[in-house]
Amino acid sequence: MTGKIFRSTLLVALAVLLVSLVTMGVILYRYFDGVQMEQLQDELTLAARGTEDGGEAYLAGLDSRRYRLTWVAADGTVLYDTQADAASMENHAQREEIRQALERGRGSSARYSDTLTEQTLYEARLLSDGTVLRISISRASVGALLVGLLKPAAVIGLLAAALSAVLARGVARRVVRPLNELDLDHPLDNDTYEELSPLLVRIDRQRSQIAEQLGDLRRRSDEFRQITDNLKEGLVLLDARGAVLSINPAAAALFGADRECLGKDFLTVNRRHDMTLALKSALEGGHSETRGEENGREYQFDFSPIESEGTVVGAVLLAFDVTEQAFAERNRREFTANVSHELKTPLQSIIGSAELLEAGLVKPEDAPRFVGRIREDAARLVALIEDIILLSRLDEGGEQPRKPVSLRQTAREAAGVLRTAAESRHVTLTVEGDEGVVEGVPGLLYEAVYNLCDNAVKYNREGGTVTVTVTEGEDEVALAVADTGIGIPPEHQSRVFERFYRVDKSHSRQSGGTGLGLSIVKHAVQYHGGRLELHSRPGEGTVITAVFPRG
Amino acid sequence: MRNRFDEQLALLNRELITMGSLCEEVIALAARALAEGDVALAGKIAPLDTEIDQKERDIESRCLKLLLQQQPVARDLRQISAALKMITDMERIGDQAEDIAEIIPYLGGRIVTECEQIRDMAKAAIRMVTESVDAYVKQDVELARSVIGQDDVVDDYFQSVKSSLIGWIAKHPENGEYALDLLMVGKYFERIGDHATNIAEWVIFSVTGIHGEE
Repeated sequence: MTGKIFRSTLLVALAVLLVSLVTMGVILYRYFDGVQMEQLQDELTLAARGTEDGGEAYLAGLDSRRYRLTWVAADGTVLYDTQADAASMENHAQREEIRQALERGRGSSARYSDTLTEQTLYEARLLSDGTVLRISISRASVGALLVGLLKPAAVIGLLAAALSAVLARGVARRVVRPLNELDLDHPLDNDTYEELSPLLVRIDRQRSQIAEQLGDLRRRSDEFRQITDNLKEGLVLLDARGAVLSINPAAAALFGADRECLGKDFLTVNRRHDMTLALKSALEGGHSETRGEENGREYQFDFSPIESEGTVVGAVLLAFDVTEQAFAERNRREFTANVSHELKTPLQSIIGSAELLEAGLVKPEDAPRFVGRIREDAARLVALIEDIILLSRLDEGGEQPRKPVSLRQTAREAAGVLRTAAESRHVTLTVEGDEGVVEGVPGLLYEAVYNLCDNAVKYNREGGTVTVTVTEGEDEVALAVADTGIGIPPEHQSRVFERFYRVDKSHSRQSGGTGLGLSIVKHAVQYHGGRLELHSRPGEGTVITAVFPRG
Repeated sequence: MRNRFDEQLALLNRELITMGSLCEEVIALAARALAEGDVALAGKIAPLDTEIDQKERDIESRCLKLLLQQQPVARDLRQISAALKMITDMERIGDQAEDIAEIIPYLGGRIVTECEQIRDMAKAAIRMVTESVDAYVKQDVELARSVIGQDDVVDDYFQSVKSSLIGWIAKHPENGEYALDLLMVGKYFERIGDHATNIAEWVIFSVTGIHGEE
């Protein structure tokens, strides 16, 4: 812009200079030309009068270097010439100015010299005696004049050009400076050309619009990032070609990828064949899922297409950690298998005994023993089924009516029921401690305490003791069942609360347990928001403490 | 023109990774079938190997087309020629896995307990294949070098498998055929390790332009 202003200014200055020089030259030339002609005529008038009076003598007496006077007779013969010998001059009758003077009394003409560098002006007048007096003056022609003027004109032109260049540059800079100094970050604070204010106002408005939209976008992307960053599930967004658009930290950790994978193909993140196929089917518009192990945990990968106006523009991958779920499923399968097995064993024993009796293969004196076994196994079946029903009821959840229950009272009841069994094994069963009132479901609490005491009696040694102690804490009530029994080896301690888990599989048959007792205890205690603690030493005894929250 | 070329190179890259992942799958499957003596699992290997062969032909014709039509130079040329070489090794890995699968029925469902090293060897070979494909995906020269280094580990495993099998045959001469089958399996894993090494060398070549011990 500075350049353009500079050039225009310079050009205008030079053009004006040129035009004015030419105009001045023409005007001056005309003026001086007129003056010279007038002078010439004045001189001629004077000389004519002198010649009329004094004749040749007058002309000869004239001291004239500037002018040349030629006196010509009416027939054209040169009578006298101030600068040449008249006799040697040719007849002048045919000269333009002489002819005019002879005809009309006065004449004039101008002739160029051979070289064109000089111009000679002639002025002639008819004298009263019929002769003609001619005056002439030589001067430089216009061409020569111009050539002579060229040098000074060039000097002037150069000077003027240099001057205008300097000035033009200054002007250009001054005009542009405010534009350069515009503060576009704060368009309205500028003190500049008025003509720019609409532009600046507009810029200001657009700036605020852009800032608003940018803030909006940033907020939205922040929200999105906040959500996806804190998502426990892995989330990957893919474009229609399967390149990664965004990956959240959970997914990045899961696939062991870093931010460099952005924009690259999903294959570079994970190339498992089933994943590739699932992604392909998602990009073709179908929903697909696959399962697999990554870093020792089991994941479910859901691929869904992202559609916009009927075409698939990408896909989203959600990865869920299903390790627990898979574990629970495995547990359920195991439980079903266990239940079937546990139910089948006593039934087979019953059928076997019954068949022997039916076939009459049993001696009459042995019959009561076989019938007793049938009864025992049937009773065991009933106990097992009752336990399973109880457990499945606990599994289903559901709220049961609660009321204040005294744990000591509950323990007494359980001890009362177990007394006979305890006495038969010479085990002393005592209940002591505080009242221990908790808000709970009486039936469930009874089952929990009963099973704990039952185990303590069952797995005790001959002549051992079982002590149930209820302790009221500040906001908890603890019920501890301590026995002097066989104890639980450390490697089994974490698993004894699992369904059908048994420390010693051969021992269970003889003790008659269902394998579900502690499982029921765990469920009942958890149902009341409590927890279980287990301390045991093989050969010395076991203390299981159930801690319930108060109120 | 260049864009189209880039697109085709990206496609080639994708196909190569896919083929690599198929190789990983097929060798992992072979190792599992061997460890569990599962003949049914071994039966799944042959179709996968067919797929690998098909992929090799696809990639090969794609590479040749690119070479003819685009006349690539410098890095592009290296990438395409390395791809041409790599698919040969990948295809061979698929074949070795299939060979292992063919042996498994002859082992008669016996679980390989006699020779623990063969399992470790399989693990090491799988790791080499996985890492060589990883090195290609990430164009990671360091990782490729580490794969090349691991080849010695697999070779050592083969030596120890061999010597323990010799000892075993001496003790149980009646199991000679079984032992020889196992030796073949070991040899196949050893070959797989060599192919993984080759792949890693081609990865280095496609990145740096230097191949092997030059």
